[in-house]
Amino acid sequence: MKWYKTKAFYLFIPSFLFLLIPMYGLVQAFIQSLSTDGALTFEFYQRLFESDRFLASLGFSLQTAFTSSLLSLVIGVLLTRSCYQLLESYAPRLIVWLPMLFPHFVWGYMVILLLSESGVLSQLLQVTGVLSDSGGLPTLTRDASGLGIIITYVWKEVPFVILMLLPVYASIKPEYYDLVKNLGGNSFRQFTSVEWPHILPVMIETFLIIFSFTLSAYEVPALLGTTFPEMVSVLSYDWFYGSSWDDRPLAFAAMISISLIILVLTLLSYLLLSKRQWKAMRGRLK
Amino acid sequence: MRTHGLIGLLIILLLSACSGGESTPGLSEVTSKEWTDIEASAEDTTVRLFMWGGDEGINQYIDDWVSPRLAENHNVTLERVPMNTGEILQKLQTEKQAGKTEGTIDIVWINAENFKNAKENELLAGSFVDSLPNFNDYYQTDDPAFQTDFGTDVDGMEAPWGKVQFVFHYDAAKVDNPPSSFEELKAWTAENPGKFTYPNADDFTGNAFLRHILYAQAESPSAIYDQPLDEEAISETADDTWKYLNEMEPSLWRSGDHYPNTLTELDRLYSQGEVWMTMGYNEARAESLIDEGVFPETTRSFVMDPGSIGNTHFLSIPFNSTNQAGALTAINFMLSPEAQLAKLKPNYWGENTPISIEKLPEDMKEKFQSVERGESVLSQQELEESFLPESEAAYVDWMKEQWFNEVVQN
Amino acid sequence: MIRNKRLFYVLATLLFLLPTLILLLQSLSETWRFQTGEGLRFQLDSYSVLLSDPKLWSATGWSIGIGAGVLFINLVIGIMTGKALATLSFKGKPFVEAIILAPILIPVLAIAMGLHLFMIRIGLADTVLGVIIIHLVPTVPYSIKIFQNAYRQLGSPMLEQPLILGSNPLHQLFTIELPLMKPAIRSVTFLTIVISLSQYAITAIIGGGRIITLPMVFFPFLDTANSSIMAAFSIWFSMIPLALYVLVEILLLLLPYTIMPWRK
Repeated sequence: MKWYKTKAFYLFIPSFLFLLIPMYGLVQAFIQSLSTDGALTFEFYQRLFESDRFLASLGFSLQTAFTSSLLSLVIGVLLTRSCYQLLESYAPRLIVWLPMLFPHFVWGYMVILLLSESGVLSQLLQVTGVLSDSGGLPTLTRDASGLGIIITYVWKEVPFVILMLLPVYASIKPEYYDLVKNLGGNSFRQFTSVEWPHILPVMIETFLIIFSFTLSAYEVPALLGTTFPEMVSVLSYDWFYGSSWDDRPLAFAAMISISLIILVLTLLSYLLLSKRQWKAMRGRLK
Repeated sequence: MRTHGLIGLLIILLLSACSGGESTPGLSEVTSKEWTDIEASAEDTTVRLFMWGGDEGINQYIDDWVSPRLAENHNVTLERVPMNTGEILQKLQTEKQAGKTEGTIDIVWINAENFKNAKENELLAGSFVDSLPNFNDYYQTDDPAFQTDFGTDVDGMEAPWGKVQFVFHYDAAKVDNPPSSFEELKAWTAENPGKFTYPNADDFTGNAFLRHILYAQAESPSAIYDQPLDEEAISETADDTWKYLNEMEPSLWRSGDHYPNTLTELDRLYSQGEVWMTMGYNEARAESLIDEGVFPETTRSFVMDPGSIGNTHFLSIPFNSTNQAGALTAINFMLSPEAQLAKLKPNYWGENTPISIEKLPEDMKEKFQSVERGESVLSQQELEESFLPESEAAYVDWMKEQWFNEVVQN
Repeated sequence: MIRNKRLFYVLATLLFLLPTLILLLQSLSETWRFQTGEGLRFQLDSYSVLLSDPKLWSATGWSIGIGAGVLFINLVIGIMTGKALATLSFKGKPFVEAIILAPILIPVLAIAMGLHLFMIRIGLADTVLGVIIIHLVPTVPYSIKIFQNAYRQLGSPMLEQPLILGSNPLHQLFTIELPLMKPAIRSVTFLTIVISLSQYAITAIIGGGRIITLPMVFFPFLDTANSSIMAAFSIWFSMIPLALYVLVEILLLLLPYTIMPWRK
């Protein structure tokens, strides 16, 4: 179909104008990462991928971001599907969305307030005599396995997953469920044949959003991360705002690399999704 | 097609980079005028002071003390804008790149490596200190602390606003005799495992703590602060430093598996009683925290041999300030004895002054000498006796990298 | 369902309500040291510090104004593009979808400098309009996605029917599409305002200190060891999206075919 001949093409104009802004920003960052004193160079990328510190932190970041995103998604879907009727009303929805009212670092700080060595949990356990001193609680924050970061993100992102899924669940027609029930399908069957096709595109998008955010955001790992291993975002932040500005192109190179990883992942997901949709459509035509 | 027109228009807008317009007069042109003329031309203008805003005492000093008086005495409106220094410099650098000659920043609070970066990238307006009457009258103008800032020549491009010294804090209810040298600190830590730690090297305070160790391990501290960074020459001292730190590590808080990311994190640990000591680059900073109930009331401070590092912080004018006369007037006022006295008093900020007390008129001198800075602050004499100057800014970066390699990854 | 309901309330209270209450309690009391046997020591100093900041009210006003502007543009772009993406199928659509999502996937720190250059070049640096436009970057992709999904769920029959009956697109939007997409509008409102409100770095740089929003007053206090002040700021901060959300909820009641709560 020659889509640009249809009138609906004009619906894209505002978003294309809008996209010019971030694209310009990205191109600038790319130029910064490739130049020293105006000359083209790949030196910074080379230095980056030869740096053990960067590679270690890249691995750690990918692992932490993947775990947080997957956990948020699973918990979010489970909560939404069992409670979406309830979430249609005012008060429950607001309660669930409460964590989204706070910036990420406030939530990270809240996790420290609650779960750190001297946090509320540890204090209460000491008062009640379960623990004898503050060393008794396992280390949940600023730990080498990224547990504190994961807890904060999952806690903060589950409401976001619910927010993304709620409109979808709200619009699945109850008749579909009845159909499965009448045909003798169980709850699992309902999920795979009714809900899954509806929520899959949203789930993939939500995963991408959370994954890229947790991979590149600075505040939470700066608060809840430990000295080593560190997240890429913390490392590039130090390179960017560090005392010597010579490292700045290195920060740009690190962030461009992260952006590329994410963009390729996004493109692959959409190609996969559209292939599926295309197949589904063909199936219907037959 | 219509859309092509739209996109074309946008591209033209982009290319026609609006860098034109009258450029503001150079700073030297302004400073060459008579001081009274400068003050007169500053009347009825607004001056924007961009500064780090994370301390309510400092903010209130500007908002409640400086601003109203500047408005009353000089008819200048002072607007404080809270922003991190790193972001301020990034903003200036991008503006420089885009050729934006009319900026929004008139004064910036700056020192150390930020000053070095700003100066090297030509983000500052130029030399102005010599034209400030208060600086000439009440300050020791040739003091080396005003001539170089972390090893970078000041060249009159920033005016000294305050002076701070590094001190350690401890809870006197838990610690009877604080250590008096870095060797004693190591011994104390071994006797009280888990009760001491320091922020990591990326943190401003943590890095300063580590440079103290470097000073302590050198033959004499001047072997570091008098020398530009030469990794070969200090390799022995450096080895001793890593040895000291690695020996100390197992008895640190959480056995050194984790170092606090920021001074704030260490302060919170101290406030919870998790650790018994904290530290900071301002000898009087514990006062307000005790007042707010964050630090225990029994908090006191101490310094150790071979001494404690102190530095000066400054006010400067960015290259694209649109109100240089106003900026000069405001800076001159903030350097005045009255403003410095109010800054020294513990009710707002409690910070030390770079002013020369002996150059002040008698009554002012008495007022300065009679300020009670609070029980947690060491005496002026003790502070002066232990004073050590800062080393070159390059040491900060070197320490960051080496500490990570030698202490964390070992 | 009843069992679900009870479980839901227990979980939601524990996970979402309790932390908020803890922050509220911390904002009203001094640093906690329960392990030493100390109880709660209540204080209001943290709020008086908050209220003594001369910029608090103007910053709150700026934040609300900018949030409203950002939300409006988001609704317009989100509805237009969302509809196009949901109803059209064309070659290269996966690329278009990926590019539209890209602005929120790329690290902000990477593009902040370029955004600033862009704004200086088009003469919008240090202006409110510039700040509003820059806040579109982290918000618009969400809105497009949410509306795209909403339109996809509506299905094309619902969208073709009015056309066959001879309605014009705008009339169709207000009488059919918007009332049916209420959950999506809610999500977009909430998300847009929360995100716009928490932008620190790009607001500071593009606003140039002329436009002081709430995070600019609030974020520096990240450096304070005083938990009470931190908590008080957080509570104040969260009130704004809450208030705006309620406002939009009231506006939604004005859409056609809404059952007024009092008429139930």
